[in-house]
Amino acid sequence: MTEQPDPHPVTGLDDVVHQRVRLGILTVAHQARRVEFGFLRTALALTAGNLSQHLTVLEKAGLVEVEKGYEGRRARTWLSLTPAGDRALRDEVTQLKRLIQQIEQASSQEDA
Amino acid sequence: MTDAAVPPPGTPHEVLAGLGELTRRVRAAQRGAWFPLLLLGVLTLGGILVSRLTHEVRTVPCPVSDPMVGDGCTLVSQGSPFYWPIGIALAYTATAYFYLRRSRERGVGTPVRPYIVTGIALVALVAATAAWSLRHGMPQPREAFDLWGLHLDPAAGTTRFVERLIGSAAAVGVPLLVLSWVERSPALLLLTGVYLAVELVPLSTGWSGIAPSSPWSGVPLYGVPGLLLLLGALGFGLAERSRRRDPS
Repeated sequence: MTEQPDPHPVTGLDDVVHQRVRLGILTVAHQARRVEFGFLRTALALTAGNLSQHLTVLEKAGLVEVEKGYEGRRARTWLSLTPAGDRALRDEVTQLKRLIQQIEQASSQEDA
Repeated sequence: MTDAAVPPPGTPHEVLAGLGELTRRVRAAQRGAWFPLLLLGVLTLGGILVSRLTHEVRTVPCPVSDPMVGDGCTLVSQGSPFYWPIGIALAYTATAYFYLRRSRERGVGTPVRPYIVTGIALVALVAATAAWSLRHGMPQPREAFDLWGLHLDPAAGTTRFVERLIGSAAAVGVPLLVLSWVERSPALLLLTGVYLAVELVPLSTGWSGIAPSSPWSGVPLYGVPGLLLLLGALGFGLAERSRRRDPS
């Protein structure tokens, strides 16, 4: 029986999560627990339309929960990570760390 | 609010570094340790006034084992059994309100719940312990310290340490350790370490020139930790102000 090599970490990256804006949204939501649309827009330096598009993708994938409401007369949108979103972010960071490790190992072998 | 921007495209290393920077900026927006430090500092300094107003000197019969039997012993009592539990519980309630209001204003959730829950639980425990040990009235001179049925020798070093531990160290210091963890703040951890050392290490108050039986004996006792907390509040407040002015 032949031994299967470990899959390259790149194959473990999820396209929905790996996109850099969405990765930023998930990271902020993870740390903030609950984050308001306006904070995200400013923190990630995005337009409202652009941020909405990415949020729709994440919401459809079941990675974030969006909650709309009012504070006084002001409409506010809050989002939080779902357990699936939390797992997806952790997996993504793990794969990125594995990639870094592989790259560093490869370059140290080249140097030797 | 700060501009962190999305993680830059590039190597995995750069992407992870960008995510780390985003996380740091969210943490900065969540921090607000100056507020609980201010409240606890004011409350601690208020202890000086409370101990002055409740100071009482009485002559009581000496314990049988005491060589001075017949002459009577002097019992100095000060402090209110209500000031600390009610004051600290109110401080935690105000802190919870402050963080929640800030969370709504800034648009980021707050991680402060473990701090508030730990604080309220420990205040309740400390108050219950004090109520238990005082249930038969003020302990007489050299009377054993009753800790939930354990009768500890009042002269023993460990008893004095336990007495210090179940005071402000438990009700204020331990929750501050939790706050430094939830806010990931090494500076707050350092301040809490110094505070706990002040509360737990038996320092002499002789340097102040105030006798332990004086009505003003609360000055060195509460002045040092109170000023430490207020200085911490000032430092964290100034740091937050400068961060908001210069987000980069």
